[in-house]
Parts: sequence; structure tokens; C-alpha cells
Amino acid sequence: MTIIAVISPKGGVGKTSVSVNLGCALAEKGCSVRLVDMDPQNALRLHLGANPAQTGGLVHQTLQHQEWQYAEFDSAYYGVSFIPFGVVSEIERITFESQLGRMPNLLHDNLASLEQMPGGLTIIDTPPGPSVYTQQALSVANLVLVVMMPDAGSYATLPSIEGLLQYYCASRADFYGSYFILNQFDASHVLNRDIKSVMQHDLGERLAPFCVHRDVSMSEALAFQQPAKRYAPYSQGVDDIEHLATWLNALLGRGGRD
Amino acid sequence: MIRRNTVESAATDAHVAYDGRYVYGRLNRLAKTVLEWHGWEHRLWRMAIIVVLSLLYLFSVTLPMDLGMQSLYAALVFGVALYLRRYTGTMFTLILIVISVNQSTRYLYWRFTETLNLDSWMDGVFGVILILAELYAWFVLLLGYMQTVWPLRRKPEPMPDDTSLWPALDIFIPTYNEPLKVVRPTVLAAMALDWPKDKLNVFILDDGRRDEFKAFAESVGVRHVVRDNNFHAKAGNINAALANTQGEYVAIFDCDHIPARSFLQMTLGWFLRDPKLGMLQTPHHFLSPDPFERNLGTFRRVPNEGELFYGLIQDGNDLWNATFFCGSCAVLRRSILLEVGGVAVETVTEDAHTALKMHKLGYHTAYISIPQAAGLATESLSAHVGQRIRWARGMAQIFRVDNPFLAKGLNFMQRLCYSNAMLHFFYGVPRMVFLLSPLTYLFFEAHIISTSALAIAAYALPHLALANLTNSRMQGAHRHSFWAELYEATLAWYIFRPTMVALINPKLGKFNVTAKGGLVKEEYFDWEISQPYLIMLALNVAGLLIGIVRLFWWNTFELDTVILNLLWTVYNMVILGATIAVATETRQLRVNHRVAYRQPVTLKLKGGKSYACRTTDYSEGGLGVEMPAENLVALKNELDVSLFMGEREYVFPGHVAFMRGNEVGIEFAELNLQQQMDLVQCTLARADAWLDWSENRSIDRPLAGLKEILFHSMSGFRHLLYFMRAGLHGLSAYDEDAAAMEKSIGAGKVAQSSELAGWRGRLNRATKNMVLLGRSLLLKPVAPRVVDKKF
Repeated sequence: MTIIAVISPKGGVGKTSVSVNLGCALAEKGCSVRLVDMDPQNALRLHLGANPAQTGGLVHQTLQHQEWQYAEFDSAYYGVSFIPFGVVSEIERITFESQLGRMPNLLHDNLASLEQMPGGLTIIDTPPGPSVYTQQALSVANLVLVVMMPDAGSYATLPSIEGLLQYYCASRADFYGSYFILNQFDASHVLNRDIKSVMQHDLGERLAPFCVHRDVSMSEALAFQQPAKRYAPYSQGVDDIEHLATWLNALLGRGGRD
Repeated sequence: MIRRNTVESAATDAHVAYDGRYVYGRLNRLAKTVLEWHGWEHRLWRMAIIVVLSLLYLFSVTLPMDLGMQSLYAALVFGVALYLRRYTGTMFTLILIVISVNQSTRYLYWRFTETLNLDSWMDGVFGVILILAELYAWFVLLLGYMQTVWPLRRKPEPMPDDTSLWPALDIFIPTYNEPLKVVRPTVLAAMALDWPKDKLNVFILDDGRRDEFKAFAESVGVRHVVRDNNFHAKAGNINAALANTQGEYVAIFDCDHIPARSFLQMTLGWFLRDPKLGMLQTPHHFLSPDPFERNLGTFRRVPNEGELFYGLIQDGNDLWNATFFCGSCAVLRRSILLEVGGVAVETVTEDAHTALKMHKLGYHTAYISIPQAAGLATESLSAHVGQRIRWARGMAQIFRVDNPFLAKGLNFMQRLCYSNAMLHFFYGVPRMVFLLSPLTYLFFEAHIISTSALAIAAYALPHLALANLTNSRMQGAHRHSFWAELYEATLAWYIFRPTMVALINPKLGKFNVTAKGGLVKEEYFDWEISQPYLIMLALNVAGLLIGIVRLFWWNTFELDTVILNLLWTVYNMVILGATIAVATETRQLRVNHRVAYRQPVTLKLKGGKSYACRTTDYSEGGLGVEMPAENLVALKNELDVSLFMGEREYVFPGHVAFMRGNEVGIEFAELNLQQQMDLVQCTLARADAWLDWSENRSIDRPLAGLKEILFHSMSGFRHLLYFMRAGLHGLSAYDEDAAAMEKSIGAGKVAQSSELAGWRGRLNRATKNMVLLGRSLLLKPVAPRVVDKKF
């Protein structure tokens, strides 16, 4: 069982979209994939066609001292399953967050209680920036994917992200490494190209060899509550995600860091 | 115990078969044991064995045999050769050469000693002409074997890591009358070569002194160089520029040869390693079909005429330090070039002559057989013929003014390599002799080979079969069997005169600029250029008809001779038919050639949707794209096209200009200069652009080659009949027009005759047209249409 945490330094970079689509692409390549939404926006389920009226999720399960497995849904796509965050009140959220603060192993224990699929992948979506959610996700992750946009704002946050990774991951023996994915890349913008080459220079191998192009199909897919792969199978964004999935497979296959 | 047991299995991997240094199998081990025998170390043993073997060889060549014995011997030798060719390896190529030379020499020896018929003057004259042609063919065969037995296959030498050690370079792009459209991509690609920018200077050497070129050069920041005369054409142009520039090396590109970005890094390494290296040549690669390839529809499937030279002969020359300079896609060391007096101006093939001068002074030349530039092939057969006439004339000139047999400073093998290159161009007369020889019997009953047809078969068949077998093994990847016959038959008539003239007076030479990049609006038959083939074909047809009469009535007492000559005539007709297919110019409507180009591409529509697709082909104005599904885009959709080079992505604006199913044609919008440079970089100047060129090619087998030629020959005859009919109709239409015109001005009588109905009218027209056709065949001047640059 490999756990991948998907994090981002700031909001709106398309982290949830990358998590879901990457999960679908990996599932189609034969992995059994479970997506866990640790983001209070609770948006992950919508990408996978969940009923918006459905309110259950991991927060309710935790607060009611019940197993997370009863909140796991099988999506209609590629055999991917997911655990939504759940529709929660402000009180519930604050309580959950304080529990997370008090119990640093909460996520770890709950994930361990789930059915373990051999060679399976768990992908955890997190809210942007540092938070209790991100802290817990980082402490359990074998691999971290940092989703960035090729703009100056994202680039400026690089040092703080590196700090987080250093603190929560670097010393663990079961941590493979962290990689950066550029999302919403547009080569016709000079700034995009420049940021990409600067990041290539700074990160070297840790920048994923494929970036995800800016593609309106990716956001349209959410409106239709489908993974992009189903909604727009020929789009460049989906093609990029395919490449990333192949790359990630190879990365995991060889056991992570060189 | 890996054994490559058939030529086919070895040849599927052309490189292995061709590279041929991989040796497997029992026989190869045996050969190795023999080679490693310690006796070779002793001089006495070695000499003794060599003498004994030489005597045996001589004996096997000269031993007279009766028909039965000769047939048995030939069958035996041929069987052994067929068995041996199953093995790969240079060792077995050498053995096959030894066998082939043995049979060919035996044949020729027999011809000289037993079959010369000097009884009557007619038999004697024709017989001597034929045997001299055969002697020439034998000599060129031998030289060819020696020249290509061991291609060097030189690898690029890596450059030092420290770029401060890289030398300063000048790029020369000579041009005379070519349009800017042709020259622009070359200049842009030259500017973008991977080399320190402060050490790279690009010069357009404009002998046309055009303002348009000057403005272009200024806008992109390269130097526009002119001189105040046009003496010595391209050679003079380069020499004039040499005086005004100072880079340590000079790279020369014809104005339509677009260099790949890696060109300099691939080539310069050897100069740094070998201080005596004066010139390094790379292949001339053509991205558009030459007239043979276009008119026969064999583009990229059958090796073209030039591939034997660039794929094999130059690599063979390289082993003997005898690589020729070919005028373009080459790097020269300025100091050595200046020492030989710049580019040679005495002959019209200034390039080969320059290399010869370097060799005479003991300098080296080198060849790297990796296409690192590509250009346009000649556009029509007449232009192609014009270019080859220049080469033939130039080589004959060098043969006269700087004969490689006599020139000082060359070693033996260099002499052989140069001689073969020059003698090769004298094939005009011998080729025509072979095409017409059987007619001397069929027309005049001349017995030019005085022996029975069976004896001829017993001696000639093993000679021809083994020569074909061996050549197919050595050259198959670069020239399919029997194609040399077609290439030579097409040019024979045209090069025989210039070579003869140049032999007599080398000063009578003109430099033809080869026209490239034009249009052929509709399919037509080039009656003018094909006259020699048509005449030779007509003679052969007549010979065939007479032969049939001889077969059944006149010469029934020597049926074998009649049949032999008839078969020979039919073979000649096959070759001539194929030359006629070449002369049928097929349509070429696009100005910009499409180049197959398989790369990922992103199409981004104005609405923000983008699609991952693959390109199918590229041309200067646009891109062919294969969409993953139909109807993803619509006609006239504006979009951004992303092409990738390594990690980098380049975006070009364009619109959908064409759609059929999921094939989409995209036309680029007006590109700015940076975008034009990027586009050339992403497409034609890619380092790997031409590496997989011959990937989908069928493997040569001698009989398959014959079948190919036969197929093209049939289509040649079909075309000929069609165009003869169309010619008749076309002329009739003209007659009627003329008649109508005369009618309108009042001369009614003529009109009536052309309106004659029924058989009389048809007969009338047909006779008139036959006369016109005959006149067009016999009376028109036969000079090919080429652009002449006189000075």
C-alpha cells in the first residue's frame, strides 16, 4: 500500500483535479486506487459523480467513532473508490481539527483500519498551504506530489513547501520522495516558460518531466461531474495526466528515490 | 551457437547485414582458425601460400574447358557462392568477391581468346566495340569491389566539454538565382546551429547581388557578401568570400540544404583530433523525391541514385583516405583550403577536384555517414539530367587535367578510388553498346561473339549472376539490384557526349545551375528528353520483329543464336521501358514539399480547449495533423499549435485549412522572425530529422530488383501508349482549331477536309499525326533544358 499526498502551496492551482484525474489514469493502468479527501471544500467527490445530497464522510465517521470504511464509495469510473470529507457544520469542523491537533496519528490509524489492497494506491487530497490536514497527510505519505502553477506566486512559496517536506517527511525511512507537478501550463506565455525553466533548474529531477497544460476541458469536466478522461478523452490535459501516470508508475515500480 | 542462416534473416536487420563484421556459424569459426594459424607469421610460408594460391587462381581463370566441363564448373562455383552467401561477415563478402572476380575474369579471358571474330569487317568492328565495352564494365566492377569492400563507418568524435576550446567558424551559403523562399530556412537553421554564438558567423554569398537578400540578411543579422564579378561560379564565389572572412573553419551549405542543429558538433570533433584533416563531408540528403522517385512512385522505398555514393562509396573511400568533397554539407579547414589555392576553378566539379588537391599534398579528408542536412532534389528529369551532365563533364575534365593515375602525392588506393569515380562517368558508350548490340545480329546477321549461344550462356551466366549476387550483398541497402541499369540507361546518351568532349578538350565546360523547387502542373510525357530512349526502343522493337521472322523463317538453322539475341533484346526493352516511365513527369502541385514528420503536437482552440494529437507531415507553410477523433475542430478554426523540442515547447498561430475525416491540415499564420526560426528548429533542423529515413524499406534481393524494374517498365509502356494516343488526339484538336480559324477568315476548303467523317478522315488524321510525331522525335534538338550560367 503506497500513500501519495497531493499538496499545494496556494489555492486554485487545480490540486483536486490533478488528484482525481491522476487517480483515474493510474486505476486504468491496473492499480487499485483509493482517493481520500482531507480538504474541507469536500469537492473531490463531485469530480467522481457523487450525489451532492449525500453528506456522509470521514469527519462524521471520526466524530461518531465509527470506521472510515463505511464512508468509502465506489465511483462509476475505472474502479476508483473514494472517501469524501463530508458535508459538515462549522462546529463539527472545529472539533475534527482539534482532534487532528491532539492525535497526530489519527489519519494514519484510520487508513490502517481500511481494507488493504496489495499494490494499492491511496491518494490524499489536502487543502492549500500548511494546515493540520496537510501535516497529517505529510506524516503518512510515502510520496508527496506538490502541484504548482507556473506563476511567480507559486514559485515564491517553494522555500516554505521545502520546509514542510523537510519537517514531516525527510527523516522517515518509508518516505520515497517529493515531486513537483506544473499545472495549467501555457507555453504561449513567456512568463510560464521562464518559470518552468527556472524550476527545472532549481528542482532538477524533482520536477515531473511532464507538465499539465492549461485546458478548459479540465474545469468543464467538473461541471459535468466526470473525470476529465471521460469527459474529454482527447484533450491535451488528459494526455499530460496519462504521461504523468506512466511516469509515476515507473517511479513507484523502482521504489522511489534513487 | 547463434547462426544467421539466411541472407534474408540477416538482411532484415540491414545494419547487421550490411555492417557485416558480425560473424557466426561453423564456417566463420573455420575461417577464423585459418586466419589465426601461426604459419602466417613466417614470411616464407606466407609467400609460398600466396604464390601457390595466385597460381591456382590464374589457372582457374585461364584453363580452357569444353562446354560440358565449363557448365559443370560454373554450376559448382555458383552453388558454392549460393551456400556461402547465407553467412554474414566481411570474410564471406571477400570470398564472394574472389569468386565473382574469378568468374568475370574467366569470362572475359574466354571472350578475348576464343570468341573474337575478325573474319569479316562488320563482325570485327561490332565485336571489338562490344568486347571493349565489356572490358570497361569488368574494370569498373573490379574497382568498385576494391572501393567498397570495407566501408569505414566513422563515428563522430566528441567535442571537448570546455566550449572555450571550440574554434570559430564561418558558415557560407552561396546562392545565385534561387528565390529567397528557398534560402531563408537554410539561413535560419544555420544561425541556430548548436555552437557558441560568438564563434559562429553566417554569410550569404549572393552572386545575384539582390537587394531583397541584403534586406533579409540585415533583418536577421547575418552578413550579405557580394563580389563585383561572377567568375568561376560557385567556386569563385566561395574563394572571394574566403578572402574577406577569418574563421578557422568554413562550413559550406548549398542554399537549399538545411542543416540540422547538431551538424557542427557532429563534425568538428575530428578536426580537433587530426590536425592534417582538411575536409569532412556528410551525406547530401534529399527531403523531396528526385524525378526517378517521383515519376516511378518509389520515394523512400527504393534507394535513390545518390544513395549508393553517400551510403557506401564515400564510406569505402574513407577507409583509404580518399573521401571526396561534394560541394555542400561539408566543413573545411581554412588553412588547408587556402594552401591548395581555395576551391578549384579549373573544372566544373570544383568540389571533387579540391579534395584531390588536398590529397596530393598529403592532407586527410573524412566522411561521416549521418545525414545532418537536407535539401531539395532536382525537380524534373531534364534538370536532373542537366546536373548529371555537369558531374560527368567535370569528372572527365579532372581525368584530363589532373589525372589520378599520374598525379603526384597520391597513394595507390587513392588513385584507384579517384579513377573509379571518374571512369564511372564514362559509362555512356558502353551502356548504349549493351542496349544495341543484339541488333547487330537481328538487323545485319553480324556474329559478334563467335561461338555457340550455349557456350555464351555457360560463361556469361555465372559471370553476371555472381556479379549481381555479390553486389546485392555489398550494396543492397543502398542500391537495389538492376536499378543501376535503369539509372545508367536513362543518362547514358546524355553524358557520353560531354565526357567525350571533355576528354578531348577539358576547357569546353559550362556550369549549369540546377533548378529546384518548381511545379509540374499536370502529368506530361517529356518527349524531348526521352528521344534517345524512344529511338533505342524503336530500334529494339524493330529488332524484335525481325528476330521473330528470323526465328521462324530465315535463320532456323541457328535457332540458339536467334533466341539468345531475342532474349537480350527483350531485356533491353525492359530497361528502356523503365526509362520511359521515368520520363513521364507526374504532377507536382505543391510548391512546398511535404516531409513526413511524426511528432506529438498540441492544438489549442481559441475557446481554451486543447487536443493532444500527432503530426503526419510538415511543409513550409503548414502542418498535417492526425486528430484522435473526427470533428474536434472545424474548418477555419483559429488555433495555437504547440510543437515540442526536448523539454521546450513552441507555440505557433494558425488555422484549420483542410479537413478529411480525422486528418486536418493546418496553415500557419504570418510568423514573426523568432517564430520562423523556432519552426525550422522544431522541424527540418531537428538533430534526428533524417535518421529513420530508410526504415520502411524493403530488403534487396536480386530477383525482386528485376521484378521492380519489370513492373516500372510495364507502366512505362502503358504511359507511352497513352501519351501517344493523347498526342494524336491533341494534335487533331489543334488541326481542327486551325481549320476553324481558317474557315472564319474565309478559306472554307481546308475546313472540309478536317471534317471528313469515317475511315478516310481517321486515316487522314492518323497519317498526319504519325508524320508529326516522327518529326518531333527525329528533328527536335536533343539538348536538355537547363539553366545555363555562362561566363
